[in-house]
Amino acid sequence: MGAIIEAQELVKVFPGGIRAVDGVSFQVEEGEIFGFLGPNGAGKSTTIAMLTTLRRPTGGTARIAGLDVVRDADKVRRVIGNVSQDLAVDDDLTGYENLKLQAGFYRLPRREAEERIEEVLAMVGLTERARDLVETYSGGMRKRLDIACGLLHRPRVLFLDEPTLGLDIQTRREIWDYIRRLREEVGMTIFLTTHYMEEADSLCDRIAIIDRGKIVAIGTPEELKGRVGQEVLEFEFSSGTDEAVAAAVARIKNIPNVREVRRGSGNGYVATVVQGAQVVPALFEAIAGLEVKVGSVSLKRATLDDVFLYYTGRKIREEEGGEGAMRTRMIMRRVRGR
Amino acid sequence: MILRDIYWVFWRELKKLLRQRLHILMAVVQPAVWLALMGNAMSGLTANPVAARMLGTGNYLEFMTPGVMVMTSLFGGVYGGASVLWDRRLGFLNKMLTSPLHRAAIPLGKLLALLVQSLFQVLLIAIIALLLGVHFATGLPGIVFLLLLAGLFGMIMGGISLALAARIKSHETLFAIMNFFTMPLMFTSNALYPTRAMPSWLQKIAAYNPLSFAVTPMRTVATRGWVWGDILPGLAALLVMVVLVVALAVHQFSRSVD
Repeated sequence: MGAIIEAQELVKVFPGGIRAVDGVSFQVEEGEIFGFLGPNGAGKSTTIAMLTTLRRPTGGTARIAGLDVVRDADKVRRVIGNVSQDLAVDDDLTGYENLKLQAGFYRLPRREAEERIEEVLAMVGLTERARDLVETYSGGMRKRLDIACGLLHRPRVLFLDEPTLGLDIQTRREIWDYIRRLREEVGMTIFLTTHYMEEADSLCDRIAIIDRGKIVAIGTPEELKGRVGQEVLEFEFSSGTDEAVAAAVARIKNIPNVREVRRGSGNGYVATVVQGAQVVPALFEAIAGLEVKVGSVSLKRATLDDVFLYYTGRKIREEEGGEGAMRTRMIMRRVRGR
Repeated sequence: MILRDIYWVFWRELKKLLRQRLHILMAVVQPAVWLALMGNAMSGLTANPVAARMLGTGNYLEFMTPGVMVMTSLFGGVYGGASVLWDRRLGFLNKMLTSPLHRAAIPLGKLLALLVQSLFQVLLIAIIALLLGVHFATGLPGIVFLLLLAGLFGMIMGGISLALAARIKSHETLFAIMNFFTMPLMFTSNALYPTRAMPSWLQKIAAYNPLSFAVTPMRTVATRGWVWGDILPGLAALLVMVVLVVALAVHQFSRSVD
């Protein structure tokens, strides 16, 4: 009981020997919102493709609701919903027709299909525009329609790949609300990837971070932040020779509540600390007598961004998959219409 | 179960077709212009008794109409795979592949829509031909036969295009491959010239050109009547090819999960 997604030692090797996913294991509990984070190319999409039966694992196993994603692929497809980041709705159909088609794909009886279509349309607030061609929809409306498609057959597990990619803040907030309501009202398990750290923080019960095909951290957002250190202290030297600065940094590392010090940009350094308020005066005591001057110090609570940076050595770059990607996609669609 | 799945794929394609009426009509404009121009330009030729005997009819337009019908369904079919490429690029293919939809339903539904499209286009050409004064020797049943054969041929080309699209990811490559076949296929067939006017090496190619398999029975029916001896070989070859090509397309989609 409990685990609805179980991945064990999943491996995917692409032709040419690229190990996109390299032994990934995790479990997702029923009713959980599970965040799956990682830099681009870390193996996120490939893992999702294997869980949603689009790609066959090279090694390892994955089960969804107890069903093997390879052997019982057809049954797995019935219990999962997949909302990819592609905005996979058909522009040449109306919103209603897109949903009708989806109902057909999932073999819902006509009566039930009609009721559910009305229901999901109301849920994503598209009832009034349902009879318009999707071509006339904004990006946010398309996304909402796509999510509605994913919900239509009431899947037990919903895969949401970058559900708010490139959307404006207001639409993002709305989509967060839908996601929370899904969990509360239907008890749906949600497997979510996102580039937005504050989104993962506020939505997810647990988070896994994947980097270079491997899971590098897994836990609740609080646990992960706790592991990195509760607070982040950033400081910058405004003067001092290289040797003096190095000596200062070495002393700062020895302060009891300082966990780790990394080089930031320029003369800046980033330290993960606990009880940061006491570390600040300790820092100045530590460097007293050295020929260095501290230009600025700032202390903030650790965020998932810091966690991400800590585990992957990279900042998650929002612009990589942000507005630009959405714009490209919309342009592509328009070109196609001609 | 699979029939319902095919129906839904077909339903989607048909909805899309109906919203692209202009596109479908435009696809008929070119062959219509061919008919009107070539038919007229070549009419001087048929005044020559030798040429008329080669054509097997006193009217080049009558000779040419079945050829133009097959060409139209050829062009329609060749680009049939493009819809799969678009579906892949826009993520719709993955949407279908992660649903319980039977995989074979994807090519079959699309082929069915392609058939409807070419039947409609060929019907338009038949109407234009009638307006230009073409006389069909076998009347209305003959015209229905022409539509079906042209449709069958369109499905063969569409099936090949779909089977390729299951593997090939780029529009450019797919079109390059299909174009590579289209023109030679057309000009080595008896669609536009009588076989008897060809040099002997070309005659041999034309005899085994799939396009000729469709054109020969159609021309027989259009100009001479139900001469089964000239109809059945081509018809049988087309039917075998359709079965093979559709099986290939279905196979390609069934294994399209790596």
